[in-house]
Amino acid sequence: MQIQNNKNKFNPFSLVIIVLFIAFSINPILGGVLIVAIIFFLVKNPKSLTTYFSNYLQMTSKLQNTLTENNPDIPKELSTNAQPITPANIFNVLSKKVRLEKRKKYLHVALNSTLEEAGEIISQLPASDRILIEAGTPLIKIYGTEAISRIKTLAPAGAYIVADNKCTDLAAREVKMMANAGANASTCLGVAPIETIDSFIEECQKFNIDSMIDMMNVENALSVLKKLKKLPDVVMLHRGVDETELSTEKQIPFYQIKQIKGNYDVLVAVAGGDTIREAQRAIFNDADIVVVWKNFYQSSAETAKLAESFLQEIK
Amino acid sequence: MIMLNQRSKYLQIAFNRSLDEVKGMIATLPASEKIIIEAGTPLIKRYGKKGITALKDWWEEKLQKPGYIVADLKCMDRGAREVETVAEAGASAATCLGLAPIETINEFIRECEKAGIDSMVDMMNVEFPFEILQKLKKLPAVVVLHRGVDENEKNREKQIPLDQIHRIKGTYGKVLISVAGGETTRDVVRTFFNDSDIAVIWRSFYEAPENTAQLAQDFLKLVK
Repeated sequence: MQIQNNKNKFNPFSLVIIVLFIAFSINPILGGVLIVAIIFFLVKNPKSLTTYFSNYLQMTSKLQNTLTENNPDIPKELSTNAQPITPANIFNVLSKKVRLEKRKKYLHVALNSTLEEAGEIISQLPASDRILIEAGTPLIKIYGTEAISRIKTLAPAGAYIVADNKCTDLAAREVKMMANAGANASTCLGVAPIETIDSFIEECQKFNIDSMIDMMNVENALSVLKKLKKLPDVVMLHRGVDETELSTEKQIPFYQIKQIKGNYDVLVAVAGGDTIREAQRAIFNDADIVVVWKNFYQSSAETAKLAESFLQEIK
Repeated sequence: MIMLNQRSKYLQIAFNRSLDEVKGMIATLPASEKIIIEAGTPLIKRYGKKGITALKDWWEEKLQKPGYIVADLKCMDRGAREVETVAEAGASAATCLGLAPIETINEFIRECEKAGIDSMVDMMNVEFPFEILQKLKKLPAVVVLHRGVDENEKNREKQIPLDQIHRIKGTYGKVLISVAGGETTRDVVRTFFNDSDIAVIWRSFYEAPENTAQLAQDFLKLVK
């Protein structure tokens, strides 16, 4: 409805173009001066532009919703979840430059099973810039980069999407693929060759996305960081699912968090288990990001509840 | 399920370009059973399991019978889940990183046997492949000795440990050895001379897809 109304309304954009055209036909210099004046006006009042873009973006997000409605893979109720776009976050959405901030504590929700279930969880998650949504490795290997772009469509506009691609080689190509699919961060294995990690971090900076190094099966994360040319944005400390299930002695190395943060200016992410207590413990140990995922015996509502209590209790 | 023959030598070609291009490349390959088609890691991460199925269908069409397809998963965690997926997609073998936790590799090998596909353990960036093999409950079907592309480009000193082939085969008679990271015909000759069973190549095909037919024939001559 709104879009149709806009058509009949008087449009200041067309007025500007007509005036410009007249100015140019009188004198090209006058036209040039007018263009400079318009640019000056826009720089002084950027808000006059954002209202335009927000209309445009609402249109595009609506289009995406109709796409999901026609798609049998995705449950219907998801499409109602799209957040209205406010002028405040509009530039973030447009420029894809959502990056992590040093002072905030984040909850990182990993989605690993299927896209349907991913949609179910996303629709129940509270909207917040402190929630990161991860397209897990299994999802990427099953659906390819489509997993990332789909999750990005399902998630509220401007959400922070992590591609858990666990890069081990050919970093440049993988980072480009993930960034183009709309990821805000990509992961690389700490056990990968140092040359790969270096090239991974460099490429991430080039594409303006956050680089995360996954220290799974690395005994001493510090010794890997020491060898790097540049620091990553995030270091992830965690245990693999197979290791945790099959040998319970191995523990998340909480003591390493302080060691790393004491020596390097990076954010540290740790796996937080699946209760709010465990998440609190991780934050108490100075982690910046707590990673949680839904176990197969849990309902997705439980994951959403965990996210809500995280937002309330951890500031 | 197609299994590898212990006595034969194989040429494994990894495909990493877009699916459209790969389709054309596979169509020009000589129809030889000595060629193994690999769905490279970037291809899997880009297209997911439908990429593997596409490669399998095209190669089957060319060979006129089911061919051998390797899914270069580079599994690091959740071994069971990933193996299940690629077996379903039609792969004849999957890879797991030697750098992964031992529990994951064990789980991976077990799951591969259950799914009826060959397990390959990729020893990229592993200094002593022996140490890993010793810790495993069961041996994988294939051990891949591998130099990463990024390391190759930035650091020319590191070499593929060809001397390891004899030692591994001497100790664990049954495993096949695959060598990845060499690119020229000379590299391939040297690889086979050192008793490896599979030589993996990709770069020359990636860089000049239009020469696929010629390249494959040149390399095939080396595979006895």
